[in-house]
Amino acid sequence: MEEKRDDRFPTEHVKLLVEGTISWEDAKKAMRLRPKDKDRFWKYLEVLQQRVPWKDKILLRISDHLYIVAKPDAKRVVKCDCGHEFGDYRVNWKLSCRIRVRRTVEEMTEVSGIEEATLDPSLVELREYYCPGCLAQLATEAVPVGYPPIVEMLPDLDTFYREWLGKPLPDERPDWFQNRTLEAPARWVEEG
Amino acid sequence: MGICYQGKPLKEAVAEKEGIFKETGYAYGLKEIKLVESDPAKFMRFQMRLVASCIGAREMAKLISANPMSLIQGELLFMLATPEGDVVSASYGLAGHVQAFPFMVRAIANLGFEEDPGITAGDVFFNNDALYGAPHNADCYNFVPIFYKDELIGWTVGLNHIVDVGGLQPGGLGTISPSVFTDGFTVPPTKVGANFKTHKWWELHWKRRTRTEVFNILDDKMRTAGSVALHNRVLEVVEEFGVDYFRQGIKEIIERERRVLIERIKTMAVPGMYNYLHMNMVNYKGIVGKLFAASNRDWFMHQPAEMHILPDGRIHADLEGLTSEDEFHCNGYEPALRMLTSLGCWPMFAYTQTLNTALQYMTSWNIPPGSLFNPQNPFAGTVMSLMQVGKYIWMYQNCLSLSFFSRGYLEECFPQDPAGVGYGLAGVMKDGFRWAGGDMTLITCWASGATPFKDGDPASVCSPNPAADQGEAELAEFLQPTNLNIGRTLIPNYCGHGKFRGGLGTGICQMIMDPGQSLIAAVMGATSGQGRCALGMSGGYPGLSDVVYFAHDTNIRDILKEGKPYPTDFVEIGQWLKDGRLKAGSVEVFRGSSPNVPLKDGDLMACASGARMGWGDPIERRYGLAEKDVHYGWITPQAAKSIYGVLTDTKGQVKVAESDALRADIRKVRKEKSLDAKDWWKQEREKVLAKEFSENVRSMYTDCLKWPKFRREFMGMWQLPEDYKV
Repeated sequence: MEEKRDDRFPTEHVKLLVEGTISWEDAKKAMRLRPKDKDRFWKYLEVLQQRVPWKDKILLRISDHLYIVAKPDAKRVVKCDCGHEFGDYRVNWKLSCRIRVRRTVEEMTEVSGIEEATLDPSLVELREYYCPGCLAQLATEAVPVGYPPIVEMLPDLDTFYREWLGKPLPDERPDWFQNRTLEAPARWVEEG
Repeated sequence: MGICYQGKPLKEAVAEKEGIFKETGYAYGLKEIKLVESDPAKFMRFQMRLVASCIGAREMAKLISANPMSLIQGELLFMLATPEGDVVSASYGLAGHVQAFPFMVRAIANLGFEEDPGITAGDVFFNNDALYGAPHNADCYNFVPIFYKDELIGWTVGLNHIVDVGGLQPGGLGTISPSVFTDGFTVPPTKVGANFKTHKWWELHWKRRTRTEVFNILDDKMRTAGSVALHNRVLEVVEEFGVDYFRQGIKEIIERERRVLIERIKTMAVPGMYNYLHMNMVNYKGIVGKLFAASNRDWFMHQPAEMHILPDGRIHADLEGLTSEDEFHCNGYEPALRMLTSLGCWPMFAYTQTLNTALQYMTSWNIPPGSLFNPQNPFAGTVMSLMQVGKYIWMYQNCLSLSFFSRGYLEECFPQDPAGVGYGLAGVMKDGFRWAGGDMTLITCWASGATPFKDGDPASVCSPNPAADQGEAELAEFLQPTNLNIGRTLIPNYCGHGKFRGGLGTGICQMIMDPGQSLIAAVMGATSGQGRCALGMSGGYPGLSDVVYFAHDTNIRDILKEGKPYPTDFVEIGQWLKDGRLKAGSVEVFRGSSPNVPLKDGDLMACASGARMGWGDPIERRYGLAEKDVHYGWITPQAAKSIYGVLTDTKGQVKVAESDALRADIRKVRKEKSLDAKDWWKQEREKVLAKEFSENVRSMYTDCLKWPKFRREFMGMWQLPEDYKV
C-alpha cells in the first residue's frame, strides 16, 4: 500500500533545493521540519531521476554529479549525470576519473587566489578528479604524494533499503557492502 | 557504607552504570522512561528548571571573572551531573565539556576519593589534568558534590578556559611543550575547599605557578561560586519535585535523549562507511634544540578516520593509522576527543532540549594504544591536544553532510573544515611590570563552509566558541595595551572556492605599541601548509590556510602620523611591501602556528582564519552569484577569471558569451593537463617505489605504516613488494 505523502515540504521545493535556487525562507522551513518528512528520500529520487538524461534507476546520489544506479544486468555502478559510467560502486570511483595534480605554488594559487594561504607543495599535492565524460570536477584532495585516493563513502545499501526505508532492493546480496577498491590496482599491475 | 543511593560506593555506582549499558543497550538500563511517558509536561518543567538553574549560575558567576574569554567570549560552562558523572543539563557556553566530566567522576571513583580525601557536603574539587579527564590544562574544572541527607545525588561543575597556564609559552594555547612538565600548571583531581569555599592556600598556587594570577584567582572563585549557587538551586528543585523524582528524572534525561539521537540518524543519514582525513605540521626542529633532543624534529600529523554509521544508528569512528604519541604538546586522551568532537555532533544531529552526555551512549571510537589520542606515556604533553582532537569535529560534519546529502536532506548539510588562530603574549613593561595575556579573536566569527545549495556566510559561526562574536576590541586593548587593533576585515578571495563558495575568512591586523622592555607572541593556528582539510566537498576546494604574518621594524608609525591610509590585513601588508608604501626590516609568514616571536614597537602582527570550504565545481557557479562577488569586492576579477571561469566588464557585469567560452576552454585544459586514472597511478606508483618523499612526508609514512590497516591500504593501492619500506 502506498504511504501517504508528506506535503509539508513539497517535491517542488526539493527540486529548488537540488538546483540551489531555493529561497532562504523556504530552506529554513525545511530546517525547521519536526519531525522531518520521512518520504524525503523518495521525493529526492523522483526529482533526481527527472534531471538525468538516462533511464537507469538511481539507488543513491553520492555527489553533485554522481549516482549509484541499478543496471539491468544485476550490477550497481557509479554513473555521472552526463551518462559516463565508472563501474562497480564498491571500487573507488576516483580510480576511473581523469586526474590532474597541481604540484607548484603557482599552479595551486591559480585556484586559491592568495599565495600566502595556499598549500605547501613540499607537503601536499592538490589532486583534481574529473569526469572523463563531461570533465566536471568531481572531487579534490590535498594529500601528500603517494597517498591512496580516499574512498569518500561506501553506503550499506541493503541495510539502508531493507531496515531503514523498509523497501528492500530486489538484488540484495551479502557482498554488496564491501570495499573492493584494491581490485583496480591489482588488475592494473597484471595488465602492465 | 557508600555515599550513593542505598549506600552504594561511588566506584560501584560508576561501574554499574557502564555495565548495565553494555548489557542492555539502554542508558542506566532504562527500557522504559516512565516519568517522560507518564507526564511529559511535568518532565519538561523539571528539565527546564535544571537548565535555568545552570544558566542562572553562569550569569551570576561570570561577573566575578576579569578574564575576557569568560566575560565576552563565552568560554565558560556550568553543569549538573548525575552521581556517576553524566551531565544532564548545562548553561550555554563551552558546551563540549559536558562530554569530559564523566571521565573525571570515573577517575576520582577509581582513585578511591570516597575513602581519602573523602567526598562530603561542601567539598570543592579541582581538576585540569588531561590524564584524569580535562581536555587540556587551560580548561579548569571546579566541582561540588550535591548531597541530599547523606546521599550523593549529583555534582555541580564550573568550568572555564583560563588566560595563562604557566607553561613554557605564555597563554593557554602553547604550541611547544615536550611533556607534562613543560605544559604548565597541571593539577590532578584535588580537594581544594570545604564548607563551600576554596582554601586560602589554593590561591597561592595560582599566584606562584601561572603568569596571570589575578585573572586566574578570580576565575577560580567564579567557578566555585557558580558551582555552589547551582548546588543550592538544584536542592530547591529536589525539594519541589521530590528526591525520588529527581533521582529517576536525571537518568531518564539521558536515555530519552539517546533515543532521540539514534532516531535522527536513522531518519536523515545513510548507513555505511565514510572517510575523513586531516593533516598538519607540528614544527619543533631548531626551536627546542639540545635541551629536548627527542623533540628536536618536525612532525607531519596524519589524522584519518573511517567513520561508520551502523545499522542500529550508532556512529563508530576508527582512528587506526593516527600519528603516534610523541614528545610534543598535542597528545590527547579520549575525554578531549569526545569533548571537542561533540561540537560536530550538535549542529548535525545532537541538538536536543538540554546539553547532556547522551552522545556517549551512541558514539564510539577505536583509538589504538600508543597513538596520539591514547598515549601510553603518562607524562605526555597535552597543553594543546585540542589542536589535534579538534580536527575530528569536522569528521562528523563532513561525513554526515555527505550522508544527509545522499538521503536528500540538503538543508541539514553543514560541512566545515578546521580553523582558528589564537595567541598568547608575555612581556615586561617599561617600569619592570611583568604581564601576560592571550586572545582568541579569531577563534570566533569564522565563516561557514558552503552547502550543496548556498554559499557559506562570513563571520557567522565558531564551533568551539558559543559566543561567536569577536567581542570588543577596546576591552582587549585595555587588557593588552601593547597590541593596537588597526584592522578587522573580511579578506577578498579568502575562502574555499566552489560552485557554492565558503564565506570569506576574517583578518585582524595589530600594531605593536610601546611594549616596554620586552614582548613575545606565540600564535596557535589550526592549519599549516596542508590547507584546511584533505578532502574538498563534491569537487569544491578546501578552505584556505590560516595565516600569521609578522612585519618587523616597519614605518607604520610614520604612515599613521601623516594621516595616510594604512594596510589592514596580511594581503594588504604584502601588497604594500611589494609596492614600497610600507617598509619592513624583516618579515615572517606562517600558514599556521608560530614559535615565540619577539616584537618591538612599530611591528605589525596580522592573523587570518576562518576561510572555510567550498562545495561543487567552481566553474559551475551561477553567473549571478559570481557577478555579486565581483561587485562587492568579495572576489577579485582576476580570481573570478582563473578560478570560476567568469569574465566581467569594467562595471563588474559578467560577459556571458566570453565566460561560456572561457569555461569551455577550462574544460579543455582539464583534459590536457589530466591523465587517465591508470596512467596517473603508474606515475604515482613510480614515485612511491622511488620513495620520492620530502623529509616530513617520509617520516609521516614511516610512522603510519606501522599500523596494519593503513599499511594494507597503502601497499594494496601501489601494489608494493612485501618488504617495502619508506
